[in-house]
Amino acid sequence: MIEFSDVGLRYGNGPEVLHDLTFKVEPGSFHFLTGPSGAGKTSLLRLLLLSLKPSRGRVTMFGEDVSHLSQDRLLQMRRHIGIVFQEFRLLDHLTTFENVALPLRVLGQPEAEYRPNVTELLEWVGLGERMNAPPSLLSGGEKQRAAIARAVIARPKVLLADEPTGNVDPELSSRLVHLFAELNRTLGMTIILATHELPLLDKFSYPRMLLNKGELTIHD
Amino acid sequence: MIERLLSLLPRRGGAAPIVPEKSVAGRTLLLMITIMGFLSAVTLGGVVLVQKSAIAWSSDVGREVTIQIRPVSGEVMDSNLRTAVSLAEATPGVASARALTVEESQKLLEPWLGAGLDLSAIEIPRLVVVQLADPVDADIEGLQRNLAAIKGASLDTHAAWRQQLNTMAGTIVLSGLLVLVLIGAATVLAIIFATRGAMATNREIVDVLHYIGASNSFIAGEFQGRFLSIGLQGGLLGTAAALAFFLLVGTAAGNMLPSEAGAQIGVLFGRFALGLDGLLMIVAVIPVIAALTAVTSRQTVRRYLSQTS
Repeated sequence: MIEFSDVGLRYGNGPEVLHDLTFKVEPGSFHFLTGPSGAGKTSLLRLLLLSLKPSRGRVTMFGEDVSHLSQDRLLQMRRHIGIVFQEFRLLDHLTTFENVALPLRVLGQPEAEYRPNVTELLEWVGLGERMNAPPSLLSGGEKQRAAIARAVIARPKVLLADEPTGNVDPELSSRLVHLFAELNRTLGMTIILATHELPLLDKFSYPRMLLNKGELTIHD
Repeated sequence: MIERLLSLLPRRGGAAPIVPEKSVAGRTLLLMITIMGFLSAVTLGGVVLVQKSAIAWSSDVGREVTIQIRPVSGEVMDSNLRTAVSLAEATPGVASARALTVEESQKLLEPWLGAGLDLSAIEIPRLVVVQLADPVDADIEGLQRNLAAIKGASLDTHAAWRQQLNTMAGTIVLSGLLVLVLIGAATVLAIIFATRGAMATNREIVDVLHYIGASNSFIAGEFQGRFLSIGLQGGLLGTAAALAFFLLVGTAAGNMLPSEAGAQIGVLFGRFALGLDGLLMIVAVIPVIAALTAVTSRQTVRRYLSQTS
């Protein structure tokens, strides 16, 4: 599903921030992406999200080399990728329901069509009672569950999460990772979850992609 | 006041707008577009009024020619007048011809010489007013040739007047159109700045939309929808204000002047009556401004996104 071969990344004329990344991510797998701050986790996630192109090497996603894709094709491929951010990035002027429904609205679905699915998903993540509340009234955990619901509502093939537990307490962090695990198990979604919280990783047995100074090692 | 008026306008139903209404510099832009709409509608109305008056005036003047017979020694004025009337009436395309009486001729001189003067001792030129049935088919050249037989007779077709009038009206119309173009250009520039400001304010929303797979076209459409709404409201308010302005000016002009003076000014400058076609042209300012606003914002957003993506 995802294959990196000798991938390097630099911003402009600066030094390389990622060096010689070579790895494969199989469909339906779950990986933690970890490493110290500044190791390049966010840069790797941006490569996976197709918002950056590698400076060298080859990135293949869903069987296509992404280096030569047109903007339109990149856009179509990005719709197969969901993303969850540490800072949630919910739109404050929309309700929780409208935030979660946003990817379907972007795809052109009418509200009558997506309303049952969004409602069902919000109930599944425990926000059924809060769907009409604006994000400003949600707790940190609720915001992150809303952000996860928004990322998965369009059934992406790959779900990326950039420090999704960074703004919640340890107990809630664990529950959030369980939620990702449930999505991986029930929907077969490929998940790459970036975090630098080592105690959290120890609670799960998923393989770890360890980034250090721009170099990647995988520990199964 | 504006908010009360806006609350009367129909609101878009369905899901909440992705671009928040308050994040676009809505009130300032709305006021600016209202002013531009008002100026456009007033300019357009002025152009319509001038053109209509010029056409009506030119048409009236064109339906009449004047034969002037100057006193010449050895010639009998009354006889020459009768001959001129006969020649005119015999000319194809002439509806009627009538010699002005001495009293009427003297009255014409009153504005220059004053009233109460006895002009019977002075021989003054006499006029024959010729009404044309059809200005196009009237044989003016033939009449001019025939009048050569009368000593001291000349024919005034008011061609120089009409030419000058048409030139003046054409200049005013062209100037009005140029002002409209400048108003349009100023509106476009203001919308470009407002859109760029809105894009900067909503950078976070644009990023989120990109991350969830929205195309540049979709994002541009969201901003366009917001600006279209502001353009429609501004165009509507500006045009309504312009129509009220014309109504007010027309009523004030009618009430402030005595009826005779009002009638004369009406003959000279028209009656501030825009007519159905004039009203339709002014109302057309609303969709034109709305479309201008929507298209400009869409193009600005697309250019901004293609530069930043």
